[in-house]
Amino acid sequence: MSAQPATLDTETSHPLKRLWDAGPAGWNNALTKPSVLVPFFIVAALIPFALQYVEDNSSWTGTQFWTFLLANCAMYACLAVALNLVVGYAGLLNLGFIAFFGIGSYAYALVASNQIHQHFPFWAALLVVILVTLAFALLVGIPALRLRGDYLAIVTLGFGLIMNDLILNLDRPPVLAGHQFGPSGLNLTGGTNGLHNVAPFPLPTSLPLLGEIPHSRMYYWIFLGALALSIYGILRWRHSRTGRAWVAIRDDELAARAMGVNTFKYRLLAFCISAVMAGIFGMIDAAFVFNAYPDNFAVQQTVTVFIMVILGGLGSLPGAILGAIAFTVPPYLMQQLVSYKYLIVAVALIAVMVLRPEGLLGTVSIRPRKTMGGTVELLTAESTIEATELPAVTDTEVADLEAQSGAIVEDPEWKP
Amino acid sequence: MDYFLQNFPQQLLNGLEIGSLYALIALGYTLIYGILELLNFAHGDVFMVGGFLAAGAAALFVHNEVAVIPAALIVTLMAVAAMGGAGMLGVGIERVAYRPLRNANRLAPLITAIGVSLFLQSAMQVWVSPAPVLVPSNALVPQTVLHAAGIETPLTGLTLFVVAVALMIGLDLFVFRTRFGSAMRATAQDREAATFMGIDVDRVIMVTFFIASALAGMGGLLFGLRYATVDFFMGYLLGIKAFTAAVIGGIGNLRGAMIGGLMLGILESLVGGFISTQFQDTFVFLALIVVLLVRPQGLFGQPLTDRA
Repeated sequence: MSAQPATLDTETSHPLKRLWDAGPAGWNNALTKPSVLVPFFIVAALIPFALQYVEDNSSWTGTQFWTFLLANCAMYACLAVALNLVVGYAGLLNLGFIAFFGIGSYAYALVASNQIHQHFPFWAALLVVILVTLAFALLVGIPALRLRGDYLAIVTLGFGLIMNDLILNLDRPPVLAGHQFGPSGLNLTGGTNGLHNVAPFPLPTSLPLLGEIPHSRMYYWIFLGALALSIYGILRWRHSRTGRAWVAIRDDELAARAMGVNTFKYRLLAFCISAVMAGIFGMIDAAFVFNAYPDNFAVQQTVTVFIMVILGGLGSLPGAILGAIAFTVPPYLMQQLVSYKYLIVAVALIAVMVLRPEGLLGTVSIRPRKTMGGTVELLTAESTIEATELPAVTDTEVADLEAQSGAIVEDPEWKP
Repeated sequence: MDYFLQNFPQQLLNGLEIGSLYALIALGYTLIYGILELLNFAHGDVFMVGGFLAAGAAALFVHNEVAVIPAALIVTLMAVAAMGGAGMLGVGIERVAYRPLRNANRLAPLITAIGVSLFLQSAMQVWVSPAPVLVPSNALVPQTVLHAAGIETPLTGLTLFVVAVALMIGLDLFVFRTRFGSAMRATAQDREAATFMGIDVDRVIMVTFFIASALAGMGGLLFGLRYATVDFFMGYLLGIKAFTAAVIGGIGNLRGAMIGGLMLGILESLVGGFISTQFQDTFVFLALIVVLLVRPQGLFGQPLTDRA
């Protein structure tokens, strides 16, 4: 970046000034560089030690609470990143997203508790979780992804509601038209109580050098690891053929098809990857809290993860992490906020959409636009300009250019 | 088989009753979708607010189960409060949450609509009542149960059906026979062209939201009188089912929404009566998914070319 100074007047300006001028899309690019992400994850992983150090040397006793909170933050960040993949990158409004999280946690709970007396080894359980969530994702995805936009949202919402209904009612064998299916004592989901006494992962409780590792800290690290892995994977994908195909489909499906992109295949891929990610996070969560609860994937939860993605900005990974922190920490710290949680989530969602639809660090512009007969819908600032090189051109200006010329601005991922 | 034959008429009647409520609310979804191509997820919650407004109006004039002024007057006041209040709410929602995004990408208003829905639910829960609120139905309307040919129905249920059907016919006449109705249809067909014809599109959209929401408010009142209770969560599932009905009937198509609502009510009632009460909702949503997959434009909808 700095190796090749731009030809404009930026040469003389301060790097910080340049960064400021780059705007949200530029900040997003700056924050997704390895030189920022690697130190971020190292520092994040070390936080529990800092907390422990403070606790050992003062009368403060919040380590356990804060580590638990951090683990929750990391979990929501994972979910937000996975949802961002399907909504932000592929542009698919999956309202049943949280159901996959639930399917993952119930699948793990069933093979790692006394509910049906199965205790699979870790890797077998992981395989089960992946296969089960993948099967559900294909079951919904293959038919639903042939529909577009609104209809996809409805079908996935319907799927989420069906899963909810099944989870709540499969605590007894299904009875259809007077016939009972399965033995009388059959209880798969525990109904409203959920599943309890789920086995945690078989992990050592102490390690050489690190000493004893409390449960929360271990799972905080696991979630952090999962987050780092997801981000690494998504960043690698973004600049691959697959990633370019996703962005192309989201920005202009017709054009993408004209270029020979198999839109159905790539959308299904994004849908399934995001679903399996959510399933694995659900599995980790079940092992973390020893339970699988139906509340964990009520529709409000989907909305909560949505606001995390939207506040941070569609298509932005750092934004998703930021959003997850913003909507996880405050309700824990202020108990009086808990009953207002969804009210705040709702107001924030509306306010962000109306005032700044691209979110804090968003790379997808969904602002109202005066179309003069054109059908330009989405434009990615992330992709049109390497922002730090051309700081003078902002997202909206590109949009204006586009509106004036009636043309679609250059190929997003084009590089000389 | 005997069991089936004996119970079928009763289940059919129950289905028509709940189905007319779905239809009334489905009309709102379909009206708004027809004009704005917007899935107004908050519509079910407008219905819920309507129920609360009716309950509130009733609470002013009914003390300890005794009406202090003539019952008919109270019910009229409840209807005014529910329809007027819900209608104004709908107009407000459109102004604040949807109008700024009218030309935005399709994803944006859809997400906002989900936000509005969650807002109305939590606002009611936090600021009004987390517990169900009783509607003094038995002080207001006769609780007679009608018997005929082995089937029975409460008078309130029959009223619900009759009022809902009357409103639907009224709406149909309004949309298809009046000058303003044709402005609405013009706006639905092509907003830009409607502007050229001198139609005040903003006003049409406002009135549409008012009518749709007022119908939902009336649905809330009828629901309150029939079931004698309202709660902050009731709009959620009922809204989604009404919406399912609108989609099944072909979203954007008024008569389709009415038939879709009645069909869904009957389906739900028959599934509950003869197949499984346990998985009633599962079947309803399966029906939605199957219809969408087989006939995405709904049973009575026009084939959609690039609508998605």
